[in-house]
Amino acid sequence: MGNLVDLSLPIEPITPNHLIGTVGDIFLQERYERLLSLPVVSDGRPVGVISRHNMQKIFMTRFGREIQGNKPVAAFMNPLPLLVSVDQSMEEASHFVTRNIAFPITEDFILVKDGQYHGIGSVIDLLRGMEERIVEQNLSLSKALSLLKASQSQIIQSEKMASLGQMVAGVAHEINTPLGYVKNNLEMAGEAFKSLQNLGDAHDSLLADLQSGNASDDDVHQQLNRIEILNEQFQTVYPKSEMDALFKDTLYGLQQISEIVVNLKNFSRLDQAAVDNVNINQCIDSALLIAKNVVKHKAEVERNFGTLPAVRCAPSQINQVILNLITNAAHAIDRPDGRIVIRTQADQRHVHIVVTDNGKGIPPELVGKIFDPFFTTKPVGQGTGLGLSIAFKIVQDHCGSIRVKSRPGLGTAFCVSLPVHVSAPVEGKSS
Amino acid sequence: MITKPMPACPLAEPAKIAMDRPTILFVDDEERILRSLRMLFAANYRVLMTTNGHEALEILQRERVHVLVSDQRMPIMTGVDLLRQARDVSPSSMRLLLTGYSDMEAIIGSINDGEVYRYISKPWSADEFRRTVGEAMEIAVSLWDPQPIKIVAPPNNESLEILLLDQSPDIAVAIRTLLDENFPGAYHLDWATSQSEAMAILERGKVSIIISEINVDGEDVTPFLKTLKHFHAQIVTIVLTSFRDTSLLMELINQGQIHRFLPKPVRKTLTARSIRSGIERHREILQRPQLTQRHRVEPPRVQVSHSMIHRIRGMLQSLSIGKSNGIKI
Ligand SMILES: Nc1ncnc2c1ncn2[C@@H]1O[C@H](COP(=O)(O)OP(=O)(O)OP(=O)(O)O)[C@@H](O)[C@H]1O
Ligand SMILES: [Mg+2]
Repeated sequence: MGNLVDLSLPIEPITPNHLIGTVGDIFLQERYERLLSLPVVSDGRPVGVISRHNMQKIFMTRFGREIQGNKPVAAFMNPLPLLVSVDQSMEEASHFVTRNIAFPITEDFILVKDGQYHGIGSVIDLLRGMEERIVEQNLSLSKALSLLKASQSQIIQSEKMASLGQMVAGVAHEINTPLGYVKNNLEMAGEAFKSLQNLGDAHDSLLADLQSGNASDDDVHQQLNRIEILNEQFQTVYPKSEMDALFKDTLYGLQQISEIVVNLKNFSRLDQAAVDNVNINQCIDSALLIAKNVVKHKAEVERNFGTLPAVRCAPSQINQVILNLITNAAHAIDRPDGRIVIRTQADQRHVHIVVTDNGKGIPPELVGKIFDPFFTTKPVGQGTGLGLSIAFKIVQDHCGSIRVKSRPGLGTAFCVSLPVHVSAPVEGKSS
Repeated sequence: MITKPMPACPLAEPAKIAMDRPTILFVDDEERILRSLRMLFAANYRVLMTTNGHEALEILQRERVHVLVSDQRMPIMTGVDLLRQARDVSPSSMRLLLTGYSDMEAIIGSINDGEVYRYISKPWSADEFRRTVGEAMEIAVSLWDPQPIKIVAPPNNESLEILLLDQSPDIAVAIRTLLDENFPGAYHLDWATSQSEAMAILERGKVSIIISEINVDGEDVTPFLKTLKHFHAQIVTIVLTSFRDTSLLMELINQGQIHRFLPKPVRKTLTARSIRSGIERHREILQRPQLTQRHRVEPPRVQVSHSMIHRIRGMLQSLSIGKSNGIKI
């Protein structure tokens, strides 16, 4: 049931001249049982309704039927029935009816088409129709909601992928740079080794000649000469100081690479429990290493860590929150003496992480928007505007809070507070 | 292989001995990269290096640097920025980009702004790097010309042949409109919707600029573009595509020496500007055919059918380098 027309009961109407007595009898017929009232129609046009309630009033007065029974309906009917056009929508009709119907409800309303009587409609049917409609709409609303939720999780997923992509770019650069010189150095060391082998071979053959005792002076002289040339060549191409530096650099590069790998593992925590008791200071350190590529050229980072109890949380999510705060801070910095301070401290019930930058700040009129999904002031490709909205959700899931304080031109501070569920003090450190 | 001694401190070397020695300048914010590269090249060239783009520009202004190799991601100035400014300061220097990670923007920038000769990824292979630098050095040394050449406008009755290789009629309309607006009456546009059609038009031997999609009718036309550049360096290639793939772009630089890379949709001013600079490039080459050396490509590594190579090479006869067919703008 969806339309008003379907509610219309095609009741044969009575005329204004019908006598009250007859009307009383009509009301008693079984097929009119559901009706509160009868439509009164003249020349096809509705001119009134007469309700059961009216009839009762007449019949219940002493000798009512006897006195009034022969009078026409017109004298007793309500001459201003509620008229509803069947072309209206169910919503419009119900709006109209509920606002205009008299209480208590003693009448039905009359449905008209082009001013002509069409049928009668009961308020109850109308309400039932509306209810059905609402259920239907609820259904489609909840369908839309679940679709929305799905697409939201898809968006969060794609934001994760985007930040993963950014991270991969940074990390690839971070690894490929040491890899570049490590590989090159090693290839050159290989070449140096080859030259050394040649030198060694020259020595060997000289030694063999000398031992054999039958080498001519000329021969020996020539070989010595050759060794000298080879040696000189080697010394100029591979000076000792440079070779030392080269090996030192190579080891340093390998150290760099392994640090990055360890850190990546810590950051992603793929091989660890989803929820764990975690030292937030360590989370910050691994996020800092991941963000290094973004932060490096923008700001000095000051770590000011307090001694923290372990926090029961999903570390990979908390890492994501911290990483976003750090990259936001770095992105906001537009001055040469950029500075990011990360402070942690704990009180009885909470661990607080405060990330402060001396960047461009957030204009007061925008502060209220920064946690909205898709709010970003960054150019396409640099920000999706989901970072803080996701951070907000993650912190909320942890029963924590995230607050911001900003002064345009001076800087911004974000404070994340997480409740400590399980306490086990962990040593803090600072630099 | 290693013959010449390495200077202990290349930057301190007095400029007078140095001026005519093949010179290479490395720019990278990681000193260990610089040290490593100096060791790799010091035996053959005078090696200069710096971690700072501004200093690099000063060096380029002051001294003859034949080959410039720069990192992309650097704090003070990005590699693309440096290459772009280097084009003005020292146009004869060959420009190479050496990077650890390439985002799309950087690669496109290195083509359109940096007019980079080669794109090299970290980590590199020592031998290949030496070979690439050796080629660049050879070109720069032999073509060194402190005066930028003055391009003489050709007789204006000749019209410029532009070949568009793209399936989409919308693109064809857009390009034609754009050409009409910018070069009214001064060009002739041929539109090919397949590689073989393009080849047939090329064989007529007049094309100066080819504007091409990368994927036409499901066919990858990059081998075609590379082979074309290999045999006909005077034809300027502008790639106009919706395709975005970093490794493919690097190939298009190293093996295709494309002049410009334009992402779809067509942006009018950018495209017009690119065509204009393509025309200049084409004229420059017609005037000094040796300049094609500066856009020499690595031999294509992909398998290209023999018949295609044959046909493209065959065009050589029908093309006469030096015969001017540019337009007056
Ligand atoms: N430390 C800060 N200083 C100044 N503005 C900030 C800072 N942190 C956030 N903002 C503002 O809040 C906006 C929303 O930040 P949010 O992290 O949600 O998205 P985003 O950084 O733009 O994109 P992404 O999805 O990549 O994180 C930013 O675009 C920026 O305008
Ligand atoms: Mg962000």
